[in-house]
Amino acid sequence: MLFPTATFAIFFMLVLPLSWLLMPRGERWRPFIILASFVFYAGWDWRFCFLLAFSIAWNQVFAIALHNRRDERARKWLLASALTGNLGVLAYFKYYDFFVASTNNLFAFVGVDVPIETRSIVLPVGISFFTFMGIAYVVDVYRHDFEPVGFGKFAAYLSFFPHLVAGPIVRPGELIPQLESPRDPRYVDTSRAFFLIGTGLFMKVVIANYLAANIVDEVFGAPDQHSSLEVLVGIYAYSVQIYADFFGYTNMAIGIALLLGFRFPQNFDAPYSATSITDFWRRWHMTLSRWLRDYLYIPLGGNRGGKLLTYRNLMLTMLIGGLWHGAGWTFVAWGAIHGSALCAERWWRERPGFVERPWTRGRRAWHRFCTFQVVCFAWIFFRSDSFADAWDLIERLFTAWGEPSPLVTGGVLTAIAVGVGSQYLPHRLPLVIMARFSRLPVPAQAAVLSLALLVTHAMGPEGVAPFIYFQF
Amino acid sequence: MSDNETQRRRPRRRTGEGGRRLHSAGAAIVVSLGGLLIALLLNAPGLHKSATVQPEGWKRDTALAVTGPLESVSGALLLDRPRRALKAVLGRSDDDRIDTAVVIAPAPEEPGVGQTPTPPPKREKFSPKRALRIWIAGDSLVVVPGESLLRAVAGNRAMAAGRIEGRIASGLERPDVFNWFRRVRDEMHAGQPGAVVLMFGGNDDHGFMTGLPEGARIGSFGSPSWQAEYRRRVAGIIDTVTRNGAFLVWIGLPITRDPAQTQRFDTINAIVQKEAAKRPGRAAYLDTYFFFAGDDGGYSQYIADDAGQLVKMRADDGVHFERPAGDLIAKKVLEHLEERYDLTSWRR
Repeated sequence: MLFPTATFAIFFMLVLPLSWLLMPRGERWRPFIILASFVFYAGWDWRFCFLLAFSIAWNQVFAIALHNRRDERARKWLLASALTGNLGVLAYFKYYDFFVASTNNLFAFVGVDVPIETRSIVLPVGISFFTFMGIAYVVDVYRHDFEPVGFGKFAAYLSFFPHLVAGPIVRPGELIPQLESPRDPRYVDTSRAFFLIGTGLFMKVVIANYLAANIVDEVFGAPDQHSSLEVLVGIYAYSVQIYADFFGYTNMAIGIALLLGFRFPQNFDAPYSATSITDFWRRWHMTLSRWLRDYLYIPLGGNRGGKLLTYRNLMLTMLIGGLWHGAGWTFVAWGAIHGSALCAERWWRERPGFVERPWTRGRRAWHRFCTFQVVCFAWIFFRSDSFADAWDLIERLFTAWGEPSPLVTGGVLTAIAVGVGSQYLPHRLPLVIMARFSRLPVPAQAAVLSLALLVTHAMGPEGVAPFIYFQF
Repeated sequence: MSDNETQRRRPRRRTGEGGRRLHSAGAAIVVSLGGLLIALLLNAPGLHKSATVQPEGWKRDTALAVTGPLESVSGALLLDRPRRALKAVLGRSDDDRIDTAVVIAPAPEEPGVGQTPTPPPKREKFSPKRALRIWIAGDSLVVVPGESLLRAVAGNRAMAAGRIEGRIASGLERPDVFNWFRRVRDEMHAGQPGAVVLMFGGNDDHGFMTGLPEGARIGSFGSPSWQAEYRRRVAGIIDTVTRNGAFLVWIGLPITRDPAQTQRFDTINAIVQKEAAKRPGRAAYLDTYFFFAGDDGGYSQYIADDAGQLVKMRADDGVHFERPAGDLIAKKVLEHLEERYDLTSWRR
């Protein structure tokens, strides 16, 4: 069930009033929202509901066991078992075939035949997201940062449909306390919710889908057929497409949760206005960055073990972060580019005699430009099916200047400008729009919402393309 | 009424960041529901088309039962005008039109006893000065092999290919989703390609067709009446291409993760293969089944390549292709093209 579809609209129009009706009685609301979330998830493949149920049961059992035991050694074993279960499921469904193929190929290279076969496993939607949230829960309980809650509350936390299939990755401390007490039906941040849903729909349905259909898929599909200018614009277009796609999805998720009375953390903060790669990761997929920092980088030692160990930890975190996005070496290369850039920036800042110069307008603009180029370069590997394809694209970027460029149209350039330009708007502008909207009478708000839906539906292509991040 | 009572009954107005007012859950429901209802009326023509092009079943029937009257009401109240105006500004006025006409030429008469069939055309020669124009089209399955073909074509200047036309969810059963009969005819007249590479059928494994001749009915998928109508459509597409002098390579449907679907694809493949075989030298059928079967003859996502390396051939959905699979198909398509046309002698 995709957000921008009639099926989801009908589903949500049933869930929204019922949720508020049952909200005062938590013991009735929780089973209802769990059931609604499972119905939502079953919209893809009902068989994977068992996997979601297993993840809930597994993490809850270990969280309670971790909470009840005092013996540190036993707790460590319990944590290791909980993590093994979570990562084992993820490894099986997402990486089994990839690792088998990679192992077979490695051994075949030295002439050894490995008798392990691939299994053509179907990847369950959202598995990476709910697995990471389950891990966050057991680790927080292990660290005594969070006490386990009842089964119903945890099940509602892990399966809550707005975040279920593509995040944001909400930490236990952010959502579970909200699930423990009824939301106040008198104060709902409706204007922010509708603003987020409206902008999310526009970015996904209009900007992302337009760029995908009109330049990105063609350029990345057959770079040899395109001029250098088309390749260059295609790379920029993909960077806007993936942002608009994922930003749009999470905006809708946050807005839908808000209408139900729940607050999710922000997931993007104008990432293409970042002045460094370090800054980029504070703005791009923020909930994943925090997860990687708190549950991977810091446990690896963070920056506590000296320079070399810090670089190692940064690289490992980004390599694993890359692999999290997909079972392919191109994703690892994407992580390696970001990891190397983070290490280089850290080295630069920590070198003897380094003094941070004041930010002038020109210096800020230059840093933003350079950061955007590095991010776009890394996206080439993220989007390409293989290293050969990525190299083809890079080669073409330099070898076909002056050839006709029919794909570089006014529409494509406008969509790119909207995608990048939206990140340079004054921070106050959305606040002003939301405040004005909130002061409109209810019928006028409904009329504005319907006009936004008209424009999005009319401007979007026929049919709904899947979200890029579903595959992760 | 005392102040306390007033306070209890009417909640204090609260504001969020930036001074925006917070509203009650009731207002949230009313705005959501009201906004959606008005949007339904404003977008009624588009929604009716979306309902029409859905797969057959109760969901489609329900959607049509709702959107049909909705479109009438929207038209009567002139609420469909803003959408039509917006579509016109975008140059997409035809988006909401539902076109089910299966416009195909009548089948050629079979050669009678004693008559010789039309001989295959001569092997024509192409060079960079006079390049063979290739048109690649079909449903979403054609995209990856099409991209591979574009890359392969880039290495030989005797061939030129434009954009790939891969239409998601389309096929020959449902011209209402996308009318390929009209599109193929238009492209043959306007673009005049010398070679056409098509791949259809991935969405045609159902027993529901639109655009049937007046009064005609078909049975379930694979039934004789279904096969007869599907054959007529396949033959119509082939004839539209070949009568305009182009050579057609029709890529067959691959084995899929779902054995039942593979079986249905076999039925479609058999029809295409037979129709292509009737037009030697003008149309060729490319059987992809055995390219993608594993050692046990069944579906496999990974297949060993010539060097013995396991390569991911099929996408995670168990139907679509990955790049190496596309490259393999493109290589075979090129072999067919080179058999039919002389594309390399210009190099000597």
